[in-house]
Amino acid sequence: MQGGSSGIGYGLKYQARCISDVKADTDHTSFLTGTLSLKEENEVHLLRLSSGGSELVCEGLFSHPNEIWDLASCPFDQRIFSTVFSTGDSFGAAIWQIPEPYGQSNSSTLECVASLDAHVGKINCVLWCPSGKSDKLISMDEQKLVLWSLDCSKKSAEVLSKESAGMRHSLTGGAWNPHNVNSVAATCESSIQFWDLRTMEKVNSIERVHVRSVDYNTKREHIFVTADDESGIHVWDLRKAKVPVLELPGHTHWTWVVRCNPEYEELILSVGTDSAVNLWFASASSEKKTSESSVEVSRQRVNPLLNSYTDYEDSVYGLAWSSREPWIFASLSYDGRVVIESVKPFLPRRYVLI
Amino acid sequence: MGTEETAPMDEKAKRMRDLLSSFYAPDPSISTSGSSINASFDNINSTSFDADQYMDLMIKKSNLEVLLQRHVQMAAEIKNLDTDLQMLVYENYNKFVSATDTIKRMKSNIFGMERNMDQLLHKIMSVQSRSDGVNTSLFEKREHIEKLHRTRNLLRKVQFIYDLPARLQKCIKSEAYGDAVRFYTGAMPILKVYGDTSFQECRRASEEAIEIIIKNLQTKLFSDSESIQARAEAAVLLKQLDVPVDSLKARLLEKLEQSLDGLQIKPEEASKLAEHNDSSKDEESNNQGPVKIHEDAVRGFSEAMRAYRDIFPDSEERLFKLARALTTMHFENMEVYIRKRVSAADFLGIFRIIWEDVVLMDEVLPEAALSDLSAEAAQVTLKQFVAKTFSHLQQDISVYSLGRNQKLNKVSLYVADTLLKFDINQKEVVDGEILNVVLEASRKADFRQLLDEDTGVIVKMKNSLIGWIQKGFQDFFRSLEAHFLVLSGKTISSNETEGLMEGKSSERIHAGLILVLAQLSVFIEQKVIPRITEEIAASFSGGNSQAFENGPAFIPGELCRVFHAASEKLLQHYIDTRTQKISIVLRKRFKTPNWVKHKEPREVHMFVDMFLQQLEEVGKEVKQILPQGTFRKHKRSDSNGSNTTTSSRSNTLHNDKMARSNSQRARSQLFETHLAKLFKQKVEIFTKVEFTQESVVTTIVKLCLKSLQEYVRLETFNRSGFQQIQLDIQFLKAPLKEAVEDEAAIDFLLDEVIVAASERCLDVIPLEPPILDKLIQAKLSKSKEHNNNTVSS
Repeated sequence: MQGGSSGIGYGLKYQARCISDVKADTDHTSFLTGTLSLKEENEVHLLRLSSGGSELVCEGLFSHPNEIWDLASCPFDQRIFSTVFSTGDSFGAAIWQIPEPYGQSNSSTLECVASLDAHVGKINCVLWCPSGKSDKLISMDEQKLVLWSLDCSKKSAEVLSKESAGMRHSLTGGAWNPHNVNSVAATCESSIQFWDLRTMEKVNSIERVHVRSVDYNTKREHIFVTADDESGIHVWDLRKAKVPVLELPGHTHWTWVVRCNPEYEELILSVGTDSAVNLWFASASSEKKTSESSVEVSRQRVNPLLNSYTDYEDSVYGLAWSSREPWIFASLSYDGRVVIESVKPFLPRRYVLI
Repeated sequence: MGTEETAPMDEKAKRMRDLLSSFYAPDPSISTSGSSINASFDNINSTSFDADQYMDLMIKKSNLEVLLQRHVQMAAEIKNLDTDLQMLVYENYNKFVSATDTIKRMKSNIFGMERNMDQLLHKIMSVQSRSDGVNTSLFEKREHIEKLHRTRNLLRKVQFIYDLPARLQKCIKSEAYGDAVRFYTGAMPILKVYGDTSFQECRRASEEAIEIIIKNLQTKLFSDSESIQARAEAAVLLKQLDVPVDSLKARLLEKLEQSLDGLQIKPEEASKLAEHNDSSKDEESNNQGPVKIHEDAVRGFSEAMRAYRDIFPDSEERLFKLARALTTMHFENMEVYIRKRVSAADFLGIFRIIWEDVVLMDEVLPEAALSDLSAEAAQVTLKQFVAKTFSHLQQDISVYSLGRNQKLNKVSLYVADTLLKFDINQKEVVDGEILNVVLEASRKADFRQLLDEDTGVIVKMKNSLIGWIQKGFQDFFRSLEAHFLVLSGKTISSNETEGLMEGKSSERIHAGLILVLAQLSVFIEQKVIPRITEEIAASFSGGNSQAFENGPAFIPGELCRVFHAASEKLLQHYIDTRTQKISIVLRKRFKTPNWVKHKEPREVHMFVDMFLQQLEEVGKEVKQILPQGTFRKHKRSDSNGSNTTTSSRSNTLHNDKMARSNSQRARSQLFETHLAKLFKQKVEIFTKVEFTQESVVTTIVKLCLKSLQEYVRLETFNRSGFQQIQLDIQFLKAPLKEAVEDEAAIDFLLDEVIVAASERCLDVIPLEPPILDKLIQAKLSKSKEHNNNTVSS
């Protein structure tokens, strides 16, 4: 390893793509990650940052029947999470519960709460309602969007409604609007679509080719971020959705995931297939810019890239901010390495002062 | 004895001395007062001399011998003084005697004079009485003569008045209007007094004649054929005749105003004028040129103004107005003129003409402050001209590049080769255009020199002119950069606000164009800006302070930076667009088939052809536009040196893997991959792009192979799917290595694709090498055949 890495590493046994912040765990900074191996027995790791913040400890190791393509932790119960998995020729999605006395015991089995088996094709992701207590979730495959109602006690999930995105639109992923629980953004090959969950109708769309990732800014309503293959990262304002508010160069190769910080509204993280994690500073609105001191503004204009973490061996696909300690994020490269980094040295001055 | 003698002697001597001193010294008080102090006792000559004291002192002080000596000396002195006295008395006596003689002579002369005087008086009396007699005898005759003379004068006047009509007629015939007017005004008072009586006839006739004269004079005044002086005279005469001149003046000035139209330099004629201005330099004899005509006209105009000024001194205001109107008109026309494209020389030509006009008029009307007015106007015009010149340049460039863009799109549908040649041509054109900018700059240097020579006032504006030109360059380059970016579709121009539109137009923009723009930016950064900087330093130095206060002048450093950034941006953009195109091919390739149910590979897949074709296109474009890397060899050996082991390692790894793949020990395989990665140097896939053919091609190939790997990672393959990938990659190896300088990196990336495929394969059984070879050979021969066919057809 090259020097200068401040990150805390943790190695998974196999290749992996997804990592998720356990939002419901308010006592610890923990992450869930799952492996992606076609032929071996896959695992879900529950990782916890030690209280000193110097070590990443594996709190639980659970075997998972299939390779995991997507993983999301339940926002209100730290023991529940969802996965999207593939058996090789078919896809499935399920809600899992971590067994009660989880501890150091090796490969305890996960308890399947519900299987989201309303899909045929390739499933992309499962989204939990960000509002917290709501038991709604959405699963998305290439063709359609399904809204579920989960009942943990009955261990069942009901399809509330589903809607096809249309033949021509092949969905690739999405994000649930944290400011409006009825609105979901879905990315497809040629556009970003905005769905209203009450009517299950597409209400708006932005023409944009090959968007790979979308994320809402939790602090600022209407602002969201996208990443695409062709021209990097864009910051959008929903009210003026024709032209992006801001354009960032992204990565040397594809930008895979982009995530807004849950606390510091200007911070954006992106990971890419050029084996790097980039930390951006992007003030999303123009009126904000003018109010800030001109010196700071000009500095940002010169280089919005605050830092680039390049200490990775392979493409990075997994990325999650910690919601408990918002200056910490976890990244996961394809070779199964989890790296926890702190962005504290790059925080804008006013946050540090607070 | 001495004392007894001295006492009377003293009495006498003192009296004598006083007498003498009163006679000889006019102011005895001075001598006495002065001596009284100096010579107290021993000075005998002083008035306050006390003989007793002196005596006592002498006796006390001196011995006998000295006293005796003194006595002898004093006796001699006394004797001398006595003789002097005698001489003086004698001389005075002589004078008395001669005065008495003279008086006696005078008495005898006066005697007899009185009688002569009486005689003289008597004679003068008789002369006076005689002259009185003559005077009275001639008085009557003289009175008579005087009377006759008066009558004669009156008769002559009457005669003159009777003759006046005839005289006036004669004058009209001979056009001696001046005399006629003089006669008429002379006769006027008489006619006025006696006109109603005996001279009635005469008056009417002369008035008729005068009317004719007035008419003639008016026609003369208004006829353009007459000389200005003649007309001025006419005006003066009319004024003498008490003809209402004001209306005439108004009419005349109107006429003058009308003539202004003739003096205008019309935009259409301006170019002709300018041309002739140039040509007249060559052939001085060609006096009939429009410039000459114009100059004459203006000269005439100014003469007229001068004349009018003399004639009507109260009309200055009006003339000022006219002159100002002409000047402003000139400059307005000039503005219209420069709205079209005008070369600096032409502009200068016209400018000079106008300036000459102004100078001419200024001579006539110095109070009109024409030079100030025109200086102001000239400043505005100059500024506009500079701005216009730059905007024209910019338009040219945008027209060129737009035209090329459109053509590119059309042509690209047909032949790639010609298109690229076209590109090159266009590149030269644009380069030339930019060189023109430089030339323009140097021309402006001449321009300034001319201004220095010609028109003193404009020298004042030199500083601001320099400021404008520098600012102009700065703005020009800035907007050029912005224009480049808009053209490349990198930034959204303000009128293309709709995202949809933008997306479409960016697709339409040809990649080659972007590359040309990138190269152009480099060219501007490295060649054009330094040259213009030199140019500015040479011709437009000085006067910066003023310009810097107002706004940014020409800052080459900043521009270089801007263009450097732009060139990098554009190159990156080119690579992006190119890789995107290939990426679309790859995406289609991997999204369409169901890889889990793939059939056995029969041949190398089509997408390889498309991939290579795209690369070929890139290669062609790059070769035509970008320079070749100079240190290619060196670099290659360098990278080989560090990477031979790694590439061989990955090869062996690859072979090993193939051999052992049957055992399906994917896990250990993964472990091995990791281990290998750990030990080998990380191959730098994403290096900085340089402005060389090789660097650009390499970067594009690397990015595409990386994309290929990523696409593979997203799929799950069955055995046949894996084999298909293996076959395709194997086929790609040779041509890619040929195209790219960094073989090690390509090897590495191709291996990575195979590894990724094997990782994502349910059942990894690679194709046997003979079959692989056979299929590749089949593909090669097929493509060769295809090529032959296309060539023959």
